[in-house]
Amino acid sequence: MIYLLKHLGYAFISTIGFAFIFNTPKAALLRSGLAGAFGWAVYIVVNQVSGSVVLSTFMGSLCIGLVGEVFAILNKNPITVYIIPGIVPLVPGFGLYNTMLSLLENDYDGALLHGSQSVMIAIAIAGALTIALSVNSYRKRVFRRRSRLKI
Amino acid sequence: MNEVNQKKLLVMALFAGEIMLKNGAETYRVEDTIIRICKSRNFPFVEAYVTPTGIFISVDQEGEDINEMITYVKRIQGRSINLNKVAEVNAFSRRFVEGDLSVEEGMTQLKDIDQLAPYSLLMQALFGGIASAFATLLFGGNYLDFSAALLTSIILTFSIKRIASNGFNLFLTNMTGGFIAAFLSILFSYAHPNIHVDTVIIGAIMVMVPGVAITNAVRDSISGDLVSGLARGAEALLIATSIAFGVGFVLKTWIYITGGRLY
Repeated sequence: MIYLLKHLGYAFISTIGFAFIFNTPKAALLRSGLAGAFGWAVYIVVNQVSGSVVLSTFMGSLCIGLVGEVFAILNKNPITVYIIPGIVPLVPGFGLYNTMLSLLENDYDGALLHGSQSVMIAIAIAGALTIALSVNSYRKRVFRRRSRLKI
Repeated sequence: MNEVNQKKLLVMALFAGEIMLKNGAETYRVEDTIIRICKSRNFPFVEAYVTPTGIFISVDQEGEDINEMITYVKRIQGRSINLNKVAEVNAFSRRFVEGDLSVEEGMTQLKDIDQLAPYSLLMQALFGGIASAFATLLFGGNYLDFSAALLTSIILTFSIKRIASNGFNLFLTNMTGGFIAAFLSILFSYAHPNIHVDTVIIGAIMVMVPGVAITNAVRDSISGDLVSGLARGAEALLIATSIAFGVGFVLKTWIYITGGRLY
């Protein structure tokens, strides 16, 4: 539990730092930090339960997408402002590094293993964001249809 | 609605689109903004086609021979990331479409948005350092790794921002970043045996990892802009390759000099 809380805090601060690099508007800094911390917490919990990095990355990104969605609706900002800093800690930097290291050591089996895992993680992030964002565009279409009916 | 100068409006819409695209907005959002701005001032026929490297718009008014059709092509050169400007232009287009702002006034507001300063370089470097340092803790580093990553990443962020603002291309910028990250981590690892080279490097390169490119590639592909989606995907791949190239170069040299294995 303490481990989880500690990670929650680290992820929150880290995401805010990334948000600074991407010049996120001041008002959105804390919210993007919240989205990132929430996503990382889900990642940790799912990882402990299932032991699969790909599945936990998928669930984490999905949560970031949905939380970003809520913030985007509430504040009328583009959704990217909230989700881009949040997904950075989930991006497979670790896998990328290990792939390169294995290649340097002429360990091609290891490179294949780490490389395919990194690709899987990237696909998991992309898939999760696709689902979260498709929900968004569907909602927008329904909303637009309703407002047209009223007129 | 009062008559609006067709050409001026189009130039303004183009400028709004340019600011958004240059600062990391998705192409579908840029298209949407341009079309909304044009339609709000009585141009029923608007077509916008946007890719990460260029904007094409043409508009026409009702009635076939009143006005000529106008088409603009705009080439977009450098791209950076400034989500603040994207959010500001987004809010501006909402104001412009709903309110009764004149085109001249809109143009001055857009120019103000374009001039908005990013966070200062030192501030960005500092927060880049903090972000990397806490990312190191997330990946299981200890507190010595934390401080090493903090220092490495402050220098790293400062350098890549400086290099990028001097107009060097994506590959060179990220390669230099990888180079600096690996070099400094190796230096720190000699300072204390408990500092791990790999943990510090991984934390430091998180600053350069292509998060924006991946997100935008996905968003563009979903909305059917396959060309833009592929282009952004290629951008993400290029960034990842160049980071690996920079880090790999230093590590290989280090292995060569010390002889034998890495650790």
